[in-house]
Amino acid sequence: MQIETVSHRQDDAVDDATPSEETWACRILGRFDAHESEQFRSYFEEAVSQGTKTFIVDLSEVDFVDSTALAELVRAMKQLRQEAGNLILRRPSNAVRIILELTKLDQAFTIEAAA
Amino acid sequence: MQDTTWRIGFVTAFPPGRNSLNEFGFHFVNHMASADGVDALVVLADDTDAGPPDVSEIRANNPNATVEAEAVWSFNDAANPLRILRAVRRHKLDAVIINLQFATFGDGKVPGALGLLTPAALRAAGVPTGLILHNLADNVDMQDAGFTDSAVMAAVMNKAGRVLTRALLLSDYVALTIPRYVEFVRDSYGAKNVLLVPHGSFEEMEEPTFGIPDGPKRKILAFGKWGTYKTVDVLVDAFRDLIGRGYEDLELVIAGTDSPNSPGYLDSIAAGCSDLDNVTFTGYVAEEDVAELFTSSAVTAFPYTSTTGSSGVLHQAGSYGRSAALPDIGDFTEVIEEEGFIGQYFTPGDASSLADSLAKLLDDEELNAEHGERNYLAASGIPMAEICDWHITHLNRVIEQK
Repeated sequence: MQIETVSHRQDDAVDDATPSEETWACRILGRFDAHESEQFRSYFEEAVSQGTKTFIVDLSEVDFVDSTALAELVRAMKQLRQEAGNLILRRPSNAVRIILELTKLDQAFTIEAAA
Repeated sequence: MQDTTWRIGFVTAFPPGRNSLNEFGFHFVNHMASADGVDALVVLADDTDAGPPDVSEIRANNPNATVEAEAVWSFNDAANPLRILRAVRRHKLDAVIINLQFATFGDGKVPGALGLLTPAALRAAGVPTGLILHNLADNVDMQDAGFTDSAVMAAVMNKAGRVLTRALLLSDYVALTIPRYVEFVRDSYGAKNVLLVPHGSFEEMEEPTFGIPDGPKRKILAFGKWGTYKTVDVLVDAFRDLIGRGYEDLELVIAGTDSPNSPGYLDSIAAGCSDLDNVTFTGYVAEEDVAELFTSSAVTAFPYTSTTGSSGVLHQAGSYGRSAALPDIGDFTEVIEEEGFIGQYFTPGDASSLADSLAKLLDDEELNAEHGERNYLAASGIPMAEICDWHITHLNRVIEQK
Protein backbone atom coordinates (compact mmCIF):
# COMPACT_ATOMS: atom_id res chain seq x y z
CA MET A 1 0.00 0.00 0.00
CA GLN A 2 1.03 3.52 -0.64
CA ILE A 3 -0.64 6.43 1.05
CA GLU A 4 -0.43 9.89 -0.43
CA THR A 5 -1.20 12.71 1.91
CA VAL A 6 -2.53 14.57 -1.06
CA SER A 7 -4.02 17.42 0.83
CA HIS A 8 -4.58 18.92 4.12
CA ARG A 9 -5.67 22.38 4.90
CA GLN A 10 -6.39 25.09 2.42
CA ASP A 11 -3.16 25.36 0.52
CA ASP A 12 -2.97 21.79 -0.65
CA ALA A 13 -6.29 20.68 -2.09
CA VAL A 14 -7.12 17.27 -3.41
CA ASP A 15 -8.69 17.45 -6.83
CA ASP A 16 -11.97 19.32 -6.64
CA ALA A 17 -12.39 19.10 -2.90
CA THR A 18 -13.46 22.20 -1.13
CA PRO A 19 -10.94 22.14 1.64
CA SER A 20 -10.92 24.14 4.74
CA GLU A 21 -8.72 24.24 7.75
CA GLU A 22 -10.77 21.40 9.14
CA THR A 23 -10.44 19.17 6.07
CA TRP A 24 -7.70 16.64 5.58
CA ALA A 25 -7.45 14.10 2.82
CA CYS A 26 -5.39 11.21 1.60
CA ARG A 27 -5.28 8.87 -1.34
CA ILE A 28 -4.63 5.16 -0.86
CA LEU A 29 -2.99 3.20 -3.64
CA GLY A 30 -2.72 -0.58 -4.14
CA ARG A 31 -3.50 -3.02 -1.34
CA PHE A 32 -5.33 -1.88 1.76
CA ASP A 33 -5.40 -4.77 4.23
CA ALA A 34 -4.69 -5.84 7.81
CA HIS A 35 -0.95 -5.69 7.37
CA GLU A 36 -0.98 -2.22 5.87
CA SER A 37 -3.68 -0.27 7.66
CA GLU A 38 -1.32 1.00 10.35
CA GLN A 39 -0.02 3.69 8.04
CA PHE A 40 -3.53 4.95 7.39
CA ARG A 41 -4.26 4.99 11.11
CA SER A 42 -1.15 7.05 11.86
CA TYR A 43 -2.08 9.70 9.32
CA PHE A 44 -5.68 9.77 10.44
CA GLU A 45 -4.67 10.12 14.10
CA GLU A 46 -2.41 12.99 13.16
CA ALA A 47 -5.33 14.69 11.42
CA VAL A 48 -7.60 14.16 14.43
CA SER A 49 -4.95 15.54 16.76
CA GLN A 50 -4.88 18.67 14.60
CA GLY A 51 -8.63 19.06 15.07
CA THR A 52 -9.88 17.99 11.67
CA LYS A 53 -13.63 17.63 11.28
CA THR A 54 -13.73 16.25 7.76
CA PHE A 55 -11.41 13.57 6.48
CA ILE A 56 -11.54 12.53 2.84
CA VAL A 57 -10.17 9.17 1.74
CA ASP A 58 -9.65 8.79 -1.99
CA LEU A 59 -10.02 5.07 -2.75
CA SER A 60 -10.00 5.24 -6.54
CA GLU A 61 -6.59 3.55 -6.79
CA VAL A 62 -7.17 0.73 -4.32
CA ASP A 63 -6.97 -2.68 -6.02
CA PHE A 64 -7.53 -4.88 -2.93
CA VAL A 65 -9.23 -4.20 0.38
CA ASP A 66 -10.11 -6.65 3.16
CA SER A 67 -12.58 -6.44 6.00
CA THR A 68 -9.89 -5.42 8.48
CA ALA A 69 -9.04 -2.35 6.42
CA LEU A 70 -12.73 -1.63 6.07
CA ALA A 71 -12.99 -1.83 9.85
CA GLU A 72 -10.25 0.81 10.00
CA LEU A 73 -12.47 3.12 7.96
CA VAL A 74 -15.51 2.35 10.14
CA ARG A 75 -13.45 3.14 13.22
CA ALA A 76 -12.37 6.46 11.70
CA MET A 77 -15.95 7.30 10.70
CA LYS A 78 -17.19 6.60 14.21
CA GLN A 79 -14.44 8.66 15.79
CA LEU A 80 -15.15 11.68 13.62
CA ARG A 81 -18.92 11.47 14.01
CA GLN A 82 -18.50 11.47 17.77
CA GLU A 83 -16.84 14.87 17.27
CA ALA A 84 -19.61 16.02 14.91
CA GLY A 85 -17.31 15.49 11.96
CA ASN A 86 -17.41 13.06 9.05
CA LEU A 87 -15.34 10.67 7.00
CA ILE A 88 -15.90 10.81 3.27
CA LEU A 89 -14.99 7.98 0.92
CA ARG A 90 -14.14 9.43 -2.45
CA ARG A 91 -14.46 7.50 -5.72
CA PRO A 92 -14.20 3.97 -4.31
CA SER A 93 -12.70 1.54 -6.83
CA ASN A 94 -14.59 -1.61 -7.86
CA ALA A 95 -12.68 -3.64 -5.25
CA VAL A 96 -13.80 -1.24 -2.54
CA ARG A 97 -17.36 -1.03 -3.84
CA ILE A 98 -17.66 -4.84 -3.71
CA ILE A 99 -16.78 -5.09 -0.02
CA LEU A 100 -18.86 -2.04 0.85
CA GLU A 101 -21.80 -3.71 -0.83
CA LEU A 102 -21.10 -7.14 0.73
CA THR A 103 -21.15 -5.58 4.17
CA LYS A 104 -23.90 -3.10 3.29
CA LEU A 105 -21.76 -0.44 4.91
CA ASP A 106 -22.20 1.60 1.74
CA GLN A 107 -25.38 2.70 3.51
CA ALA A 108 -23.42 3.94 6.52
CA PHE A 109 -20.58 5.86 4.89
CA THR A 110 -20.75 9.15 3.05
CA ILE A 111 -19.54 8.27 -0.42
CA GLU A 112 -18.57 10.68 -3.16
CA ALA A 113 -18.88 9.01 -6.52
CA ALA A 114 -16.90 9.96 -9.61
CA ALA A 115 -17.55 13.46 -10.85
CA MET B 1 -22.10 7.97 17.07
CA GLN B 2 -25.86 8.12 17.54
CA ASP B 3 -28.42 9.89 19.67
CA THR B 4 -31.00 7.14 20.07
CA THR B 5 -30.46 4.13 22.27
CA TRP B 6 -32.26 0.81 22.28
CA ARG B 7 -33.13 -2.12 24.48
CA ILE B 8 -31.53 -4.95 22.57
CA GLY B 9 -32.26 -8.64 23.10
CA PHE B 10 -29.65 -11.26 22.28
CA VAL B 11 -30.80 -14.85 21.82
CA THR B 12 -27.88 -17.17 22.40
CA ALA B 13 -26.44 -20.20 24.12
CA PHE B 14 -24.65 -18.80 27.13
CA PRO B 15 -22.33 -19.91 29.95
CA PRO B 16 -22.42 -21.70 32.28
CA GLY B 17 -24.41 -23.72 29.74
CA ARG B 18 -22.14 -25.52 27.32
CA ASN B 19 -24.20 -25.58 24.16
CA SER B 20 -22.54 -24.65 20.89
CA LEU B 21 -21.78 -20.93 20.35
CA ASN B 22 -21.86 -20.19 24.09
CA GLU B 23 -18.37 -18.67 23.94
CA PHE B 24 -19.25 -16.42 21.00
CA GLY B 25 -22.39 -15.46 22.92
CA PHE B 26 -20.38 -14.52 26.01
CA HIS B 27 -17.85 -12.37 24.14
CA PHE B 28 -20.50 -10.70 21.99
CA VAL B 29 -22.49 -9.72 25.08
CA ASN B 30 -19.32 -8.58 26.83
CA HIS B 31 -18.66 -6.03 24.09
CA MET B 32 -22.23 -5.25 23.01
CA ALA B 33 -23.16 -4.20 26.55
CA SER B 34 -21.17 -0.97 26.29
CA ALA B 35 -21.69 -0.28 22.58
CA ASP B 36 -22.97 3.10 21.47
CA GLY B 37 -26.70 2.87 20.92
CA VAL B 38 -27.37 0.18 23.52
CA ASP B 39 -29.47 1.37 26.44
CA ALA B 40 -29.84 -2.13 27.87
CA LEU B 41 -28.83 -5.56 26.70
CA VAL B 42 -31.02 -8.51 27.62
CA VAL B 43 -29.53 -11.97 27.16
CA LEU B 44 -32.23 -14.48 26.24
CA ALA B 45 -30.23 -17.56 27.06
CA ASP B 46 -30.67 -21.31 26.99
CA ASP B 47 -32.04 -23.06 30.07
CA THR B 48 -29.48 -25.73 31.00
CA ASP B 49 -28.64 -27.99 33.91
CA ALA B 50 -25.50 -25.92 34.50
CA GLY B 51 -27.52 -23.12 36.07
CA PRO B 52 -28.92 -19.72 35.11
CA PRO B 53 -27.01 -17.50 32.66
CA ASP B 54 -24.13 -15.86 34.47
CA VAL B 55 -23.47 -12.23 33.50
CA SER B 56 -21.58 -11.27 36.66
CA GLU B 57 -18.24 -11.01 34.86
CA ILE B 58 -19.82 -8.99 32.06
CA ARG B 59 -21.37 -6.58 34.56
CA ALA B 60 -17.98 -6.21 36.24
CA ASN B 61 -16.37 -5.48 32.86
CA ASN B 62 -19.10 -2.98 31.93
CA PRO B 63 -19.97 -1.14 35.16
CA ASN B 64 -21.97 1.56 33.38
CA ALA B 65 -23.99 -0.81 31.24
CA THR B 66 -27.35 -2.42 31.91
CA VAL B 67 -27.12 -6.15 31.30
CA GLU B 68 -29.97 -8.49 32.14
CA ALA B 69 -30.18 -12.22 31.53
CA GLU B 70 -32.90 -14.83 31.62
CA ALA B 71 -32.99 -18.47 30.58
CA VAL B 72 -35.94 -18.51 28.17
CA TRP B 73 -35.41 -21.42 25.78
CA SER B 74 -34.25 -25.02 25.97
CA PHE B 75 -32.39 -27.33 23.63
CA ASN B 76 -34.94 -29.57 21.83
CA ASP B 77 -38.02 -27.70 23.07
CA ALA B 78 -40.52 -27.31 20.23
CA ALA B 79 -42.03 -24.28 22.00
CA ASN B 80 -38.84 -22.20 21.72
CA PRO B 81 -40.15 -19.66 19.16
CA LEU B 82 -43.17 -18.96 21.36
CA ARG B 83 -41.08 -18.79 24.55
CA ILE B 84 -38.64 -16.37 22.95
CA LEU B 85 -41.39 -14.17 21.51
CA ARG B 86 -43.03 -13.94 24.93
CA ALA B 87 -39.70 -13.00 26.52
CA VAL B 88 -39.10 -10.31 23.90
CA ARG B 89 -42.49 -8.78 24.73
CA ARG B 90 -41.99 -9.15 28.49
CA HIS B 91 -38.67 -7.31 28.33
CA LYS B 92 -40.08 -4.65 25.96
CA LEU B 93 -37.20 -5.01 23.54
CA ASP B 94 -36.70 -2.66 20.60
CA ALA B 95 -34.76 -5.17 18.55
CA VAL B 96 -33.30 -8.66 18.76
CA ILE B 97 -30.13 -10.32 17.48
CA ILE B 98 -30.00 -14.11 17.30
CA ASN B 99 -26.74 -16.07 17.53
CA LEU B 100 -27.39 -19.18 15.52
CA GLN B 101 -26.16 -22.28 13.80
CA PHE B 102 -28.44 -24.92 12.38
CA ALA B 103 -28.46 -27.15 15.47
CA THR B 104 -28.74 -24.33 18.02
CA PHE B 105 -32.30 -25.11 19.07
CA GLY B 106 -32.04 -28.89 19.00
CA ASP B 107 -30.71 -32.02 17.38
CA GLY B 108 -34.23 -33.47 17.15
CA LYS B 109 -35.63 -32.82 13.68
CA VAL B 110 -38.93 -31.26 14.80
CA PRO B 111 -37.75 -29.02 17.67
CA GLY B 112 -34.54 -28.17 15.81
CA ALA B 113 -36.51 -27.08 12.74
CA LEU B 114 -39.20 -25.25 14.70
CA GLY B 115 -36.51 -23.30 16.55
CA LEU B 116 -35.22 -22.02 13.24
CA LEU B 117 -38.60 -20.36 12.70
CA THR B 118 -37.84 -17.99 15.60
CA PRO B 119 -36.51 -15.14 13.42
CA ALA B 120 -39.59 -15.35 11.18
CA ALA B 121 -41.86 -15.35 14.24
CA LEU B 122 -40.15 -12.28 15.67
CA ARG B 123 -40.26 -10.39 12.42
CA ALA B 124 -43.92 -11.29 11.92
CA ALA B 125 -44.53 -9.81 15.36
CA GLY B 126 -42.90 -6.58 14.20
CA VAL B 127 -39.68 -6.99 16.14
CA PRO B 128 -36.60 -5.78 14.20
CA THR B 129 -34.49 -8.92 14.01
CA GLY B 130 -30.88 -9.51 13.03
CA LEU B 131 -29.38 -12.95 12.69
CA ILE B 132 -25.76 -14.01 13.07
CA LEU B 133 -25.66 -17.25 11.10
CA HIS B 134 -22.51 -19.29 11.67
CA ASN B 135 -23.06 -22.02 9.10
CA LEU B 136 -25.19 -22.90 6.09
CA ALA B 137 -27.26 -26.05 5.73
CA ASP B 138 -26.16 -26.19 2.09
CA ASN B 139 -22.57 -26.81 3.21
CA VAL B 140 -23.26 -29.52 5.78
CA ASP B 141 -22.74 -33.14 4.78
CA MET B 142 -25.66 -34.54 6.79
CA GLN B 143 -24.28 -38.09 6.79
CA ASP B 144 -20.76 -37.11 7.75
CA ALA B 145 -22.02 -34.75 10.43
CA GLY B 146 -23.90 -37.62 12.09
CA PHE B 147 -27.44 -36.40 11.47
CA THR B 148 -28.37 -39.52 9.50
CA ASP B 149 -26.90 -42.77 8.19
CA SER B 150 -29.04 -42.79 5.04
CA ALA B 151 -28.12 -41.07 1.77
CA VAL B 152 -31.82 -40.67 0.94
CA MET B 153 -32.53 -39.10 4.30
CA ALA B 154 -29.47 -36.86 3.85
CA ALA B 155 -30.93 -35.60 0.56
CA VAL B 156 -34.30 -35.00 2.24
CA MET B 157 -32.58 -33.15 5.06
CA ASN B 158 -30.68 -30.99 2.59
CA LYS B 159 -33.99 -30.04 0.94
CA ALA B 160 -35.43 -29.29 4.35
CA GLY B 161 -32.30 -27.27 5.10
CA ARG B 162 -32.98 -25.07 2.11
CA VAL B 163 -36.57 -24.52 3.23
CA LEU B 164 -35.35 -23.59 6.71
CA THR B 165 -32.69 -21.31 5.27
CA ARG B 166 -35.49 -19.46 3.48
CA ALA B 167 -37.23 -19.15 6.85
CA LEU B 168 -34.08 -17.73 8.41
CA LEU B 169 -33.85 -15.25 5.56
CA LEU B 170 -37.11 -13.72 6.82
CA SER B 171 -34.97 -11.94 9.41
CA ASP B 172 -34.51 -8.25 8.72
CA TYR B 173 -30.84 -8.92 8.10
CA VAL B 174 -28.73 -12.05 8.09
CA ALA B 175 -25.06 -11.62 8.91
CA LEU B 176 -22.65 -14.24 7.60
CA THR B 177 -19.01 -14.27 8.56
CA ILE B 178 -17.53 -15.36 5.23
CA PRO B 179 -17.68 -13.38 1.96
CA ARG B 180 -18.25 -16.37 -0.31
CA TYR B 181 -21.24 -17.46 1.82
CA VAL B 182 -22.81 -14.03 1.35
CA GLU B 183 -22.37 -14.34 -2.39
CA PHE B 184 -23.71 -17.91 -2.35
CA VAL B 185 -26.88 -17.03 -0.43
CA ARG B 186 -27.52 -13.99 -2.57
CA ASP B 187 -27.11 -16.04 -5.76
CA SER B 188 -28.78 -19.26 -4.63
CA TYR B 189 -31.69 -17.79 -2.69
CA GLY B 190 -32.01 -14.37 -4.30
CA ALA B 191 -31.66 -12.86 -0.83
CA LYS B 192 -31.08 -9.13 -0.59
CA ASN B 193 -30.88 -8.89 3.20
CA VAL B 194 -27.69 -10.94 3.60
CA LEU B 195 -24.49 -9.17 4.47
CA LEU B 196 -20.96 -9.77 5.64
CA VAL B 197 -20.02 -9.14 9.25
CA PRO B 198 -16.69 -10.75 10.14
CA HIS B 199 -16.45 -13.11 13.10
CA GLY B 200 -14.39 -10.72 15.20
CA SER B 201 -11.71 -11.50 17.73
CA PHE B 202 -12.88 -12.36 21.22
CA GLU B 203 -10.32 -10.39 23.17
CA GLU B 204 -8.01 -7.49 22.53
CA MET B 205 -4.86 -9.20 23.62
CA GLU B 206 -1.27 -8.23 23.78
CA GLU B 207 0.79 -9.78 21.04
CA PRO B 208 1.52 -13.35 22.14
CA THR B 209 4.83 -15.17 22.00
CA PHE B 210 5.11 -17.08 18.75
CA GLY B 211 6.73 -20.44 18.18
CA ILE B 212 7.17 -23.44 20.44
CA PRO B 213 6.92 -22.69 24.18
CA ASP B 214 9.57 -23.93 26.57
CA GLY B 215 8.73 -26.97 28.60
CA PRO B 216 9.62 -30.52 29.19
CA LYS B 217 6.95 -31.63 26.71
CA ARG B 218 5.89 -30.19 23.36
CA LYS B 219 2.09 -30.22 23.35
CA ILE B 220 -0.14 -30.99 20.38
CA LEU B 221 -3.56 -29.53 21.09
CA ALA B 222 -6.92 -30.47 19.60
CA PHE B 223 -9.92 -28.56 20.94
CA GLY B 224 -13.59 -28.93 20.11
CA LYS B 225 -16.79 -30.92 20.42
CA TRP B 226 -15.87 -34.34 19.17
CA GLY B 227 -17.46 -37.35 17.56
CA THR B 228 -19.07 -36.52 14.23
CA TYR B 229 -17.06 -34.90 11.43
CA LYS B 230 -14.68 -33.67 14.10
CA THR B 231 -13.00 -36.86 15.27
CA VAL B 232 -9.70 -37.52 16.96
CA ASP B 233 -9.15 -41.15 15.91
CA VAL B 234 -6.82 -40.10 13.10
CA LEU B 235 -5.02 -37.70 15.42
CA VAL B 236 -4.33 -40.45 17.94
CA ASP B 237 -3.01 -42.63 15.10
CA ALA B 238 -0.83 -39.75 13.91
CA PHE B 239 0.46 -39.32 17.45
CA ARG B 240 1.42 -43.00 17.59
CA ASP B 241 3.15 -42.51 14.26
CA LEU B 242 5.18 -39.60 15.65
CA ILE B 243 6.15 -41.57 18.77
CA GLY B 244 7.29 -44.33 16.42
CA ARG B 245 9.40 -41.81 14.51
CA GLY B 246 11.28 -41.01 17.71
CA TYR B 247 9.45 -37.91 18.95
CA GLU B 248 9.62 -38.77 22.64
CA ASP B 249 8.96 -35.33 24.16
CA LEU B 250 5.39 -34.98 22.92
CA GLU B 251 2.09 -34.74 24.75
CA LEU B 252 -1.27 -34.98 23.01
CA VAL B 253 -3.95 -32.83 24.65
CA ILE B 254 -7.51 -33.58 23.54
CA ALA B 255 -9.64 -30.79 24.97
CA GLY B 256 -13.41 -30.40 24.95
CA THR B 257 -16.40 -32.69 25.15
CA ASP B 258 -18.46 -35.08 23.07
CA SER B 259 -20.64 -33.62 20.34
CA PRO B 260 -24.33 -33.83 21.34
CA ASN B 261 -24.72 -36.29 18.42
CA SER B 262 -21.99 -38.61 19.77
CA PRO B 263 -22.30 -39.24 23.49
CA GLY B 264 -19.55 -41.51 24.82
CA TYR B 265 -17.23 -40.87 21.88
CA LEU B 266 -14.28 -39.54 23.87
CA ASP B 267 -14.57 -42.33 26.44
CA SER B 268 -14.18 -44.85 23.62
CA ILE B 269 -11.12 -43.00 22.31
CA ALA B 270 -9.60 -42.85 25.80
CA ALA B 271 -10.13 -46.58 26.21
CA GLY B 272 -8.44 -47.19 22.86
CA CYS B 273 -5.29 -45.29 23.77
CA SER B 274 -4.97 -46.30 27.42
CA ASP B 275 -1.55 -47.73 26.57
CA LEU B 276 -0.27 -44.20 25.86
CA ASP B 277 0.66 -42.33 29.04
CA ASN B 278 1.20 -38.97 27.33
CA VAL B 279 -2.34 -38.39 26.09
CA THR B 280 -4.48 -36.05 28.16
CA PHE B 281 -8.25 -35.61 27.97
CA THR B 282 -9.20 -32.33 29.63
CA GLY B 283 -12.98 -32.55 29.32
CA TYR B 284 -14.82 -29.21 29.27
CA VAL B 285 -12.45 -26.26 29.40
CA ALA B 286 -13.66 -23.31 31.44
CA GLU B 287 -13.26 -19.85 29.93
CA GLU B 288 -10.51 -18.89 32.37
CA ASP B 289 -8.43 -21.92 31.40
CA VAL B 290 -8.56 -21.43 27.63
CA ALA B 291 -5.58 -19.07 27.38
CA GLU B 292 -3.20 -21.43 29.18
CA LEU B 293 -4.47 -24.33 27.09
CA PHE B 294 -3.44 -22.60 23.87
CA THR B 295 -0.32 -20.71 24.95
CA SER B 296 1.25 -23.87 26.37
CA SER B 297 0.81 -25.71 23.05
CA ALA B 298 3.47 -26.12 20.38
CA VAL B 299 0.95 -26.74 17.61
CA THR B 300 -2.80 -27.11 17.20
CA ALA B 301 -4.43 -29.90 15.18
CA PHE B 302 -7.76 -29.86 13.36
CA PRO B 303 -8.46 -33.50 12.44
CA TYR B 304 -11.73 -32.74 10.66
CA THR B 305 -13.07 -34.81 7.78
CA SER B 306 -15.54 -32.19 6.61
CA THR B 307 -16.49 -28.75 7.82
CA THR B 308 -19.46 -26.46 8.09
CA GLY B 309 -17.61 -23.24 7.39
CA SER B 310 -14.75 -21.54 9.10
CA SER B 311 -13.56 -22.60 12.53
CA GLY B 312 -14.11 -20.81 15.80
CA VAL B 313 -11.32 -22.87 17.32
CA LEU B 314 -8.94 -21.74 14.58
CA HIS B 315 -9.85 -18.15 15.47
CA GLN B 316 -9.00 -18.92 19.09
CA ALA B 317 -5.74 -20.62 18.12
CA GLY B 318 -4.88 -17.57 16.02
CA SER B 319 -5.68 -15.23 18.91
CA TYR B 320 -2.96 -16.98 20.88
CA GLY B 321 -0.48 -17.02 17.98
CA ARG B 322 -0.57 -20.77 17.44
CA SER B 323 0.33 -22.64 14.26
CA ALA B 324 -2.12 -25.21 12.95
CA ALA B 325 -2.16 -28.54 11.14
CA LEU B 326 -5.27 -28.23 8.96
CA PRO B 327 -7.17 -30.63 6.71
CA ASP B 328 -6.88 -29.87 3.03
CA ILE B 329 -10.63 -29.68 2.40
CA GLY B 330 -11.18 -27.46 -0.61
CA ASP B 331 -13.93 -25.21 0.68
CA PHE B 332 -12.46 -24.99 4.18
CA THR B 333 -8.98 -24.15 2.88
CA GLU B 334 -10.32 -21.38 0.65
CA VAL B 335 -12.49 -19.96 3.40
CA ILE B 336 -9.79 -19.77 6.06
CA GLU B 337 -7.18 -18.41 3.64
CA GLU B 338 -9.67 -15.72 2.60
CA GLU B 339 -9.75 -14.81 6.28
CA GLY B 340 -5.94 -14.58 6.33
CA PHE B 341 -5.16 -17.81 8.20
CA ILE B 342 -2.49 -20.27 7.18
CA GLY B 343 -2.00 -23.96 7.97
CA GLN B 344 0.31 -26.87 7.38
CA TYR B 345 -2.11 -28.96 5.38
CA PHE B 346 -2.72 -32.71 5.51
CA THR B 347 -4.95 -35.15 3.65
CA PRO B 348 -8.17 -35.59 5.67
CA GLY B 349 -8.44 -39.01 7.27
CA ASP B 350 -4.76 -39.85 6.60
CA ALA B 351 -2.86 -40.31 9.87
CA SER B 352 0.53 -40.41 8.19
CA SER B 353 -0.16 -37.17 6.34
CA LEU B 354 -1.30 -35.52 9.60
CA ALA B 355 1.86 -36.77 11.32
CA ASP B 356 3.94 -35.23 8.51
CA SER B 357 2.22 -31.85 8.98
CA LEU B 358 2.70 -31.93 12.74
CA ALA B 359 6.35 -32.97 12.36
CA LYS B 360 6.96 -30.08 9.96
CA LEU B 361 5.65 -27.55 12.47
CA LEU B 362 7.47 -29.21 15.37
CA ASP B 363 10.80 -29.43 13.53
CA ASP B 364 10.86 -25.99 11.92
CA GLU B 365 10.59 -23.41 14.70
CA GLU B 366 10.87 -20.52 12.27
CA LEU B 367 7.97 -21.83 10.19
CA ASN B 368 5.97 -22.51 13.37
CA ALA B 369 6.47 -18.91 14.55
CA GLU B 370 5.70 -17.48 11.10
CA HIS B 371 2.42 -19.41 10.89
CA GLY B 372 1.54 -18.40 14.45
CA GLU B 373 2.07 -14.73 13.64
CA ARG B 374 0.03 -14.94 10.43
CA ASN B 375 -2.81 -16.61 12.32
CA TYR B 376 -2.59 -14.00 15.06
CA LEU B 377 -2.94 -11.17 12.54
CA ALA B 378 -5.92 -12.93 10.93
CA ALA B 379 -7.64 -13.59 14.26
CA SER B 380 -6.98 -10.17 15.72
CA GLY B 381 -8.13 -8.36 12.59
CA ILE B 382 -11.32 -6.83 13.92
CA PRO B 383 -12.05 -6.65 17.65
CA MET B 384 -15.45 -7.92 18.72
CA ALA B 385 -16.30 -4.44 20.04
CA GLU B 386 -16.17 -3.10 16.48
CA ILE B 387 -18.20 -6.03 15.17
CA CYS B 388 -20.87 -5.01 17.67
CA ASP B 389 -20.79 -1.49 16.22
CA TRP B 390 -21.44 -2.95 12.78
CA HIS B 391 -24.50 -4.77 14.13
CA ILE B 392 -25.79 -1.61 15.79
CA THR B 393 -25.39 0.20 12.46
CA HIS B 394 -27.50 -2.44 10.72
CA LEU B 395 -30.11 -2.57 13.49
CA ASN B 396 -30.45 1.21 13.36
CA ARG B 397 -31.13 1.02 9.65
CA VAL B 398 -33.79 -1.65 10.21
CA ILE B 399 -35.44 0.19 13.11
CA GLU B 400 -35.54 3.44 11.14
CA GLN B 401 -37.17 1.66 8.20
CA LYS B 402 -39.92 0.11 10.39
